[in-house]
Amino acid sequence: MSQKLYEIVSKVMNVPLVDINDNSSPESIENWDSFSLYILLDEIENTYGIKFTLEETLEIKNVGDFKKCLEHHGVSLN
Amino acid sequence: MPSEEKLSYYLSKSKTLDNFKFNKKLSVAILSSFTINGLEETIRVKCAEKKIQCITYVSGYNQYTQDILKNDSDLYQSSPEITFLILDVRSIMGNLFYSPYSLSVEQRKDFIEQKANEIINLAKQFTKNSKSKLIISNFCIPTYSPYGIFENKTDYGLKEMINDLNQLLTKNFAKEFSIYIYDFNSFVTKYGENNVFDYRQYFYGDIKVSLNFIPYLADDFVGYISAILGLNKKCIVLDLDNTLWGGIVGEDGFEGIKLGDDPTGKAFVEFQLYLQALHQRGIILAINSKNNFDDAMKVIKEHPNMVLREENFASLKINWNDKVQNFRDIVDELNIGLDSMVFFDDDPVNREYVSVSIPDVFVVDLPPDPANYTQTLLSMNIFDVQKITEEDVNRGKMYLQQRKRSELKNEIGNFQEFLKQLNIRVKIKKADDFTIPRISQLTLKTNQFNLTTHRYQEEDIRNFSKTPNKIVGCAQVEDKFGDNGITGVYIVNKDSSNEWTIDTFLLSCRIIGRGVEEGILNHIIEKARKEGVKKIKAQYIPTKKNKPTENFLPSYGFKKVGDFWVYMVDEPIRKAIHLVVVE
Repeated sequence: MSQKLYEIVSKVMNVPLVDINDNSSPESIENWDSFSLYILLDEIENTYGIKFTLEETLEIKNVGDFKKCLEHHGVSLN
Repeated sequence: MPSEEKLSYYLSKSKTLDNFKFNKKLSVAILSSFTINGLEETIRVKCAEKKIQCITYVSGYNQYTQDILKNDSDLYQSSPEITFLILDVRSIMGNLFYSPYSLSVEQRKDFIEQKANEIINLAKQFTKNSKSKLIISNFCIPTYSPYGIFENKTDYGLKEMINDLNQLLTKNFAKEFSIYIYDFNSFVTKYGENNVFDYRQYFYGDIKVSLNFIPYLADDFVGYISAILGLNKKCIVLDLDNTLWGGIVGEDGFEGIKLGDDPTGKAFVEFQLYLQALHQRGIILAINSKNNFDDAMKVIKEHPNMVLREENFASLKINWNDKVQNFRDIVDELNIGLDSMVFFDDDPVNREYVSVSIPDVFVVDLPPDPANYTQTLLSMNIFDVQKITEEDVNRGKMYLQQRKRSELKNEIGNFQEFLKQLNIRVKIKKADDFTIPRISQLTLKTNQFNLTTHRYQEEDIRNFSKTPNKIVGCAQVEDKFGDNGITGVYIVNKDSSNEWTIDTFLLSCRIIGRGVEEGILNHIIEKARKEGVKKIKAQYIPTKKNKPTENFLPSYGFKKVGDFWVYMVDEPIRKAIHLVVVE
């Protein structure tokens, strides 16, 4: 189920899908900056029909953090 | 809501644009008072879709004032042709956004006047330093008020303040040729304040147009770009059954079609009303429908709820011929470039067929539900022009006359005889306040009969008309069916007392094929002769579309000398005998 999330990250960050895992972060993804992060948030919110809080958006440091946030909003990816 | 791609789509697509090179190039600058990332990329992609290569300059975060005031700033170095200045209400109001009533009524009025003047002065400074068009956004009137329900009982409340600011700007720039107000307030009204403004994005990065809505904003801005480049669409070709009315007239009959009385019928009437509004501002309408001619014409002529009537259509192709062939016939008849045509048809198969066969035509992806036809048409920015002239308003009538002319032509058969019977009168006019907008418009959009395709903005024409060694003129063409309006333009450079060069010579497609060009050229040559000029030079610069002009100069007697075509004025003039030229 992580696949869908990875696909969104791959599309928004312009990175091949195979290179995405839970540890993917600004260190491994060149395009990951404050602006692309917000685009990513937007797409994830639209896809799963949820809204992150401002605080949550500030705490996201890697793809794994997105999963935790999604789970917190009742979206299970595992 | 009209369909639109996500911002991420435009961002990733913008990275591939370097591979495309287009002939049309444009330099665009974006200045703003807040973070507006993604707008520049989206504009570039949307321009590329219209085959325009857009080079952008984006000013630093909230750097617009410095950029405008310093006359050697990066903004001016980028030599923009179109500049967008996007300001937002919170930046301009500051703390007063939440506490406007900390000031007295008088102070509030002074504040708004001062803010308006700041923007007006910035704009003045900008036009001093740049020839670019300037598009300034107005301010979103908030739905919130610190006084709540008492707001409307408060003298000069928050909403009135911002409304007043918008009015001041609109009024001040109404007569400025190079400055337009972008109605950002309407943009927010259309999509909703709660959607366009996202508090998280605002707190996070001072983003005041949420990322989801950047593509919609970009679309509006590209509307300005196409209008300024003269790429607007000019003609809508329509199907009939299930497009202009519900049902199929051949099967459901005159009484059976849905038009007006029931909810579905109302959707079609609404659609026709908006088409009529477009028609009234100069968009040409035509019909391309597979139907029995008599059945369909009965509805068009007699149905009580039909809005568009026979006289609103410049061409009616109602038959059982192939749709694409019909389309090509309409194009020939109206003499309009394929890329300025739009096709509306409810049948996806027809749409696909036209789209594949004639790729230059803009085929509208009509929604399956007729209730959404009007919204689809309303949300398209493709008909916008910089200026609506008198010619635009009368265009529909002119095309109707055109249809009658071609009917006469078919009756007479002999072309020369037909021309004589038209009683053409060519009135030569000087460039003045009345004709300058139209002259510029014609240079911007005329493609087929155009020797040099030089494009000139209104300011250019205005300057030329004041230059002593230039002649800027235009021709109004009348015939027995009516007035075609100003449909010919020429610009001549007086290089010396012996020699003139024709810089621009064009005819609107509406009057091609009636020998009007000979009349205008006669006029120029006679004028040259009177002033003792020996030689007239002209150029034919080939483009993809101006083939109809190719043989004009040699057929008139110009001789090729190097890059130019030259006419010695003492040679006898070939007089246009079928028309009268007056000054």
